[in-house]
Amino acid sequence: MSETAQTADQRPEERQRGGCPVVHLDFSESKEAGCYWAQAEELREGGPAYYNDFGSGYWIFTRHDAVRDIYKTPELFSSESFVPWIPEPEYRFIPTQIDPPDHVKYRRILNPWFSPKAVEAAEPRMREICGPLVAEIAPRGECDFIGDFALRYPTEVFLSFVGVPLSMTDQLVRWVDDYFAGQSGDPSKLEGMTAALNGITEYWKGVLEERRGESEPREGDLASHLMHASFDERPLTDKEVLDMLLVLVLAGLDTTRGQLGYMFRHLADHPEHRRRLIEEPELVPNAVEEALRFYTIIFGDGRKVTRDTEFYGVPLKKGEMVYGLVAGANRDPRHYEHGGEYMIDRERIHHMGFANGPHRCLGAHLARKEMQVAVSEWLDRIPDFELAASEPLRERGGGAMLGLDDLPLRWEVDA
Amino acid sequence: MKLHVDGDVCTGHGRCYTVAPDLLTYDDEGFVSIRDETIEVPAEHRKAAEDAAASCPEEAISLIEDE
Repeated sequence: MSETAQTADQRPEERQRGGCPVVHLDFSESKEAGCYWAQAEELREGGPAYYNDFGSGYWIFTRHDAVRDIYKTPELFSSESFVPWIPEPEYRFIPTQIDPPDHVKYRRILNPWFSPKAVEAAEPRMREICGPLVAEIAPRGECDFIGDFALRYPTEVFLSFVGVPLSMTDQLVRWVDDYFAGQSGDPSKLEGMTAALNGITEYWKGVLEERRGESEPREGDLASHLMHASFDERPLTDKEVLDMLLVLVLAGLDTTRGQLGYMFRHLADHPEHRRRLIEEPELVPNAVEEALRFYTIIFGDGRKVTRDTEFYGVPLKKGEMVYGLVAGANRDPRHYEHGGEYMIDRERIHHMGFANGPHRCLGAHLARKEMQVAVSEWLDRIPDFELAASEPLRERGGGAMLGLDDLPLRWEVDA
Repeated sequence: MKLHVDGDVCTGHGRCYTVAPDLLTYDDEGFVSIRDETIEVPAEHRKAAEDAAASCPEEAISLIEDE
């Protein structure tokens, strides 16, 4: 936290805007793991709304109901920008940044590809990727869970799910890293972000050229599928297809890696939960869902105000940015009983880790299944493991998506 | 008891058919298959229906007690 931020925090009564405390918070910085959730809690319990004068300035809403209502009111909160410190983005992701009524038309093209039925069909392939990877790691007795597993497994699953050759893995991972470094709010990383967006787009342009003129969509090939899809009874333009493929790569590679890291740090720290999942494997989906709530990697989500209004008592002006603090909302004790606890057998779990409203994460079913498979394949081969870090773990800033930099684990290996 | 899904509000999180698989299922897009429909809940699925309604992040499911 910067000098200014501390000053603002200590004397919030001195600076007010729209009846809210003014803060100066940079969410891009790397911190000790867990600090961002602690900060979200502090903000949430300190008040329902703030004005953050970081960047061009934006409103922060910290509690469950307000965050939910931001998501559920797209006519008031546009997705034209979802990053409050980048109100005029150079990119236009489809369907991420599309508002009603067109949004649902794009979603209808993509939804079947990412449906539970499609994900069920892909589960054997997931296990084929995951099992051997864990089997390769197991005899070592140690690993960096992030670099050795969480980076490789979801990336390979995702690429095979959309029909991209695995030879592209390393290059795509680098571009995705550069993109999120820029999105995090650190101005020095913006150039790398632009280069990454161009790189990914150029890659997809080449893919489109290779498929141009083919009369039938290629089996298991999302790019080809999109080239044959219709929007309002016309084919999608190249630009639309590229804007869809671009965001799918960005959303599909990095998110599951981040979420898996926190899930496995939890399992490393909680032998009783590992035992429980080994004895009751039917509990794995619940354990994953609770991790998505409690360890949500989405620190917050931005939207742009479409007209002057008042929202939860805060006067908002057209064109201003708002930020729903998902990390605060998902643990809000006003909404969740024992919201501040990870409960492996929590009943009736719901959360906004996959957002809410029309922009509910397209890849939610895929991500859940990837995580469930990872937990079950891992516990099958490495039932006991612990943290092997001599120093506190670090996490990437929540400005983009939270994620552990690394997660050293170790376990006993039979001689 | 009857269960109704508000089709305008449902966005396909899939929590309902996950927690109540014997009562609800999904369509080809991943939405619950009974959007904008009202179904009769058999007595033995009462708890499942309540779990489904309480698990919906969009609060799209309403339960209607029989007269």
